Amino acid sequence: MAAAEAAQKIRVAMDQLKATGVRERPLVEVLDLSHQMADAMTAFFGSLDRSIIGEFKYLADFIQKARDEISGLQANDIKDTRLPGASVELDAVVRDTERATESIMTEAEKLMSLEPTDLTAYKADVDAAMMRIFEACSFQDLTGQRVTKVISTLRHIEERVTKFASALGVTDTAKSETADEVRARELLLNGPAMNGPSTSQDDIDALFS
Amino acid sequence: MAVDLSMPVLVVDDYQTMIRIIRNLLNQLGFKNIEEAKDGRQALEKLNGGKFGLVISDWNMEPMTGYELLQQVRASDKLKTTPFIMVTAESKTENVIAAKKAGVNNYIVKPFNAETLKGKLKAVLGEF
Repeated sequence: MAAAEAAQKIRVAMDQLKATGVRERPLVEVLDLSHQMADAMTAFFGSLDRSIIGEFKYLADFIQKARDEISGLQANDIKDTRLPGASVELDAVVRDTERATESIMTEAEKLMSLEPTDLTAYKADVDAAMMRIFEACSFQDLTGQRVTKVISTLRHIEERVTKFASALGVTDTAKSETADEVRARELLLNGPAMNGPSTSQDDIDALFS
Repeated sequence: MAVDLSMPVLVVDDYQTMIRIIRNLLNQLGFKNIEEAKDGRQALEKLNGGKFGLVISDWNMEPMTGYELLQQVRASDKLKTTPFIMVTAESKTENVIAAKKAGVNNYIVKPFNAETLKGKLKAVLGEF
């Protein structure tokens, strides 16, 4: 029964009671009207409940789906294990690279300061320095493996977040710039370009010629 | 007029290895009086406290970038004629143009080699 129909039935019953005077009506008729009102109310609230239940069921299904997706995201695994692990690997890459660069530069500076007065001793010193440079270059193998691990972590996170966003229909909202982002944009801080400089040294030289 | 190879040169970079590379290259070219600063702010203090014949600066540093340092140098009566070379990975044309407008004398993109540095030094300071 629609709400308007139920309200109409109740209104008609009330009008009949008022029109005839409740005190003058037999108790049976009053009870009959009461039953009609009760039936009308039951039908009204019944229809109301069904539509609300439908809405709540949709919401419950959506929340359950969101819970499943959040669970699949494995946010705790990412936060507690994968991201800290990647951070440690990158720190190690920086440390290994610095250490290797320091070794190579120190050996190169020693080579530049050698005096070739005794050629036999000079060659022995050069050979020893070159061997230490070769050893230092082995950092590249280790850093390569560490960077591969970090890339793997980033891909894992990318896949999970993409699946999550897609499942929940998440869209990007406009985001205001942070103070650091504004400063970087205003000061033209772009950093090294991928695949070499975006403007070649020759083109820059042309601007200064 | 020959370049005075004893003139103080200030190398500004937040990456110690790069300072060391430029210092070694300058030494090889005959420059012996080389000082260093790790960012624009420290560089400005050194520049205001001494007399330098050349500034070679990175761009991307905090808390003061090389670009901001260049602007400060050009705005200073004392420092505005100091030759200034930017050595940076910031290679977008807009960066180069902005630096040129701000008064940079030359611009080197990292990574660079000894010949490039030597060429720019000659272009800015003259033969040596």
